[in-house]
Amino acid sequence: MINEPTLTRRSFVKIGGGLVVTLAALPDAFTPNGADADAAVLDATRLNSWLEIKADGRVIARTGRAEMGVGMAAYFRQTVAEELNLRPESIDLVMGDTDRTPDGGWSASFLEGAANLRKVSAYTYQALLGLAATRIGVPQTALSVVNGVVSADTPSGRKSISYAELLKGQQFELTIPVAGGLAAMNDKGTGINNIMGVTVTGNPPMKSVSKYTVVGTSFASPSVEEKVTGKTQWAGDMRLPGMLHARMVRPATLGSTLLKVGALDKAKFPTAEVVTKGNLVAVVSPDEWEAMSASRAVAASTTWSEWAGLPGHSNLGEVMKANRVQGGKRGDQAKTADALKNAAKVVSATYEQPYVKHAPIGPYISVADVKADGTTTVWTHTAQSQGMRAHLAHMLGSTTDKVTVRWLEGAGQYGRTSMGGDGAEADAVVLSQLLGKPVRVQWTLQEDLAWSTASSAWISDLKAGLDAHGKLTALESDFIMAPGIDYRMVGAMLAGLPDVPAPAVGGGPAQFGFGAVTQPYVIPNEFHQGAGARVELMKPPSGVGLRGNIMRTPGQRQHVCALESILNEAAVAAGADPAQFRIDHTTDQRLIDIIRKTVAEAGWAPRPSPNPAARRTGDAPVKGRGFAAMYRFGAYWAGAAEVEVVPSTGAVRVTKFTIGVDPGKVINPRHLKSNCEGGVVMGMGEVLMEQLTFDQGKVTSIDWTKYRIPTMKDLPEIKVVTISRDDVGFGGVGEAANSLPQPAILAAVFDATGVQPRRTPLTPDYVKSLLLKA
Amino acid sequence: MPTFNLTVNGARKTVNVAADTPLLYVLRNNLELSGVRLGCGASQCGACSVLADGKEIRSCVTPVSRVGDKKIHTLEGLPGLWAAKKGLTGEKAASTLHPVQQAWIETQVPQCGYCQSGMMITAVDLLSRVPDPTVAQITDAYTGGPSPHLCRCGTYTAIIDAVQVAAKAMKA
Ligand code: FES
Ligand code: FES
Repeated sequence: MINEPTLTRRSFVKIGGGLVVTLAALPDAFTPNGADADAAVLDATRLNSWLEIKADGRVIARTGRAEMGVGMAAYFRQTVAEELNLRPESIDLVMGDTDRTPDGGWSASFLEGAANLRKVSAYTYQALLGLAATRIGVPQTALSVVNGVVSADTPSGRKSISYAELLKGQQFELTIPVAGGLAAMNDKGTGINNIMGVTVTGNPPMKSVSKYTVVGTSFASPSVEEKVTGKTQWAGDMRLPGMLHARMVRPATLGSTLLKVGALDKAKFPTAEVVTKGNLVAVVSPDEWEAMSASRAVAASTTWSEWAGLPGHSNLGEVMKANRVQGGKRGDQAKTADALKNAAKVVSATYEQPYVKHAPIGPYISVADVKADGTTTVWTHTAQSQGMRAHLAHMLGSTTDKVTVRWLEGAGQYGRTSMGGDGAEADAVVLSQLLGKPVRVQWTLQEDLAWSTASSAWISDLKAGLDAHGKLTALESDFIMAPGIDYRMVGAMLAGLPDVPAPAVGGGPAQFGFGAVTQPYVIPNEFHQGAGARVELMKPPSGVGLRGNIMRTPGQRQHVCALESILNEAAVAAGADPAQFRIDHTTDQRLIDIIRKTVAEAGWAPRPSPNPAARRTGDAPVKGRGFAAMYRFGAYWAGAAEVEVVPSTGAVRVTKFTIGVDPGKVINPRHLKSNCEGGVVMGMGEVLMEQLTFDQGKVTSIDWTKYRIPTMKDLPEIKVVTISRDDVGFGGVGEAANSLPQPAILAAVFDATGVQPRRTPLTPDYVKSLLLKA
Repeated sequence: MPTFNLTVNGARKTVNVAADTPLLYVLRNNLELSGVRLGCGASQCGACSVLADGKEIRSCVTPVSRVGDKKIHTLEGLPGLWAAKKGLTGEKAASTLHPVQQAWIETQVPQCGYCQSGMMITAVDLLSRVPDPTVAQITDAYTGGPSPHLCRCGTYTAIIDAVQVAAKAMKA
């Protein structure tokens, strides 16, 4: 690993602090930097792969990560602008293309993703200061920089020079220290190495957060205007000469294999064609509508083998328990058991959630162009371009240098492509290779809801012990989750081509690291174990089956639901207000501060649950409220839900949700607010209505009437409360907001009715049945 | 293939396509208007909405043969629609966005943005009928019709704000 920027062999200017800049005369004086950018663009040790300062003062910044709908396109510009003392408007961002960006990595994380460009910008800034000091003839400390113009007072008056002028006619080289590498299948073909890509190393001096002028403002990303005016090129908009449109004809069940392909009526569909490889069946046509109509006709007469290997959705928790496979453990089992035995009160409960979907508004789409010599280009909206490239190169029996993945905008898909793999890319590549033409594969909504990965079902048994003063003495959890992270490509599996193997059964929280169960409370005795379930969801003859994957706030979303829910039940047993109960069990001042601020803004009057007016019968709505808190990636969260339940119908309506976050330094207040609002809506969907349903062979919730997500009618009043701090760095805020509604709303329904729901979704029928049983 | 004459974003267009081709594919593939987005393809999400004589329709389930002489406007045609209404011409017309688009930018509504073309179409339709809508009227506009308009990113709060910002701008 290289830890410092290194010397290049050409002439250089020594700037101090170990930084070295090469300046060489360029033939084309008009492009001070960037003349050889194309050659340099894949070499992460070369500055030009990350940043170019153009003659007109504009800066091109490149990142292998992509915009996934949470505002990365703005944050990256803000971060680069901050370290370089530029306006964010002057930065052009290149995202996600494997042939035009240096680092790779997944797109779910601003924290790691922007760290690279932040450091590169900081290295560059130091180099530019050094050059300017030499040019103006003053020490570096005498310089000030505003919007890319360096100024200093000299004996002969004030002198200023812009970055572009400083570099005019020169080639600006800076060697960037990096570690890691780009994603590629390992030698055994059992997994992808370097999924997190290249990391910039070293510790260049960076601007202190308290001096920020760009980060912390509601900078409007240019991509918003492009989307609003129709200028955005979405993955679905990619068109190539001679391109064919494809629609896939999927097996009858998730496990079926092909018996006989249906006939294509050429009189009716003259330019359509059926393409088959193994169990992969598609209909292609130069005309999209013909491809669609013909694919339906072909599907109707295509026959598949029977398969009935799924357990069905209705009793999944019990099935998982019966097929438990031990994963990791944390804490002291014996001491915790002892503490529970000696507790004044013990609260036990089982919480569970079915499979839920990422459910983007636009289904998977990809265009592939496989040339006769094997050179392959794929256009996609994946969140993992480098990982996708590694999958595809392996599937083709080729190498990553033969495959280019170009990223374009797509519908927000909340983590399902973070590892590459899942998507329409393999379908498109297989078809393009067979046909020798570019092929565009558009999945349908039905196909997307049935054949893409889902967030796995889980069930957790929990116990909390309290002493005579209502203080927690012990907490125990046993969490089982159906196989969770399956990055395999449907197209490869059906075509019988190689890909990564199916995920190992087992693991539970180990799949996500035990960080997922770390809550910022002081509880003397804790014991947690995670398990997988040997549920044969994914080893059918077709190879596909029901596949799990990560989804927004993976692992922790599930654990927070279970752990915060048992805390709420413990607070009830202690006769304590649930917000105060958390404060009484932590020493973490940031958690205490965000809880206090959130409940204050929510107008929360302390009292224990249930509501004294709680009722489980009657036609009139009854009010309840619930609370939850969490810690994730350097950010502290609190959420207060207010609900109305109509006992006679079981209808639950969330009327207000107050969400509080202390993420350290707030990067972009407006985006933070919309992430919080969007997260609350998404989390509310999970608790109130979302469930992937399936029978013994296939997914049955295959349109928006069967897989329901929140609409504007379901929208509560959402209040966002923030604490911004300059002294603790950045926390991750893009995703976690969707974790709070579930425990808070479950508690609120108890508060309203005195009956505790412990399973989602809280459909009216389910709530009604709970209230009747109670 | 039959020929259809369409009026799209103020221009006359001729296409040769199968009569049952949904308008969505004609707009996207034949006329290269990619502002129109494919979502469910089944009139369940509103991503594909366009205006037909000023009223929202779902282009994914509207056969091109049923469009007739209705004037179609897509996201790309909203500035022109506004310019025509306000009598703007030349440079001024070319540089003016529809107030709904302006409000969407000002309020920074899009997260992923995929659903927002359809959301803005609904706003234009609503504001042409109800210049000063209440929150309840806005909610009705986005949840009535053939199906609710869906946004997975949960931008509903921002949409309500933006419709109100646009309403104010359009009255000014
Ligand atoms: S795509 Fe037309 S309503 Fe969903
Ligand atoms: S903004 Fe992403 S679906 Fe609406």
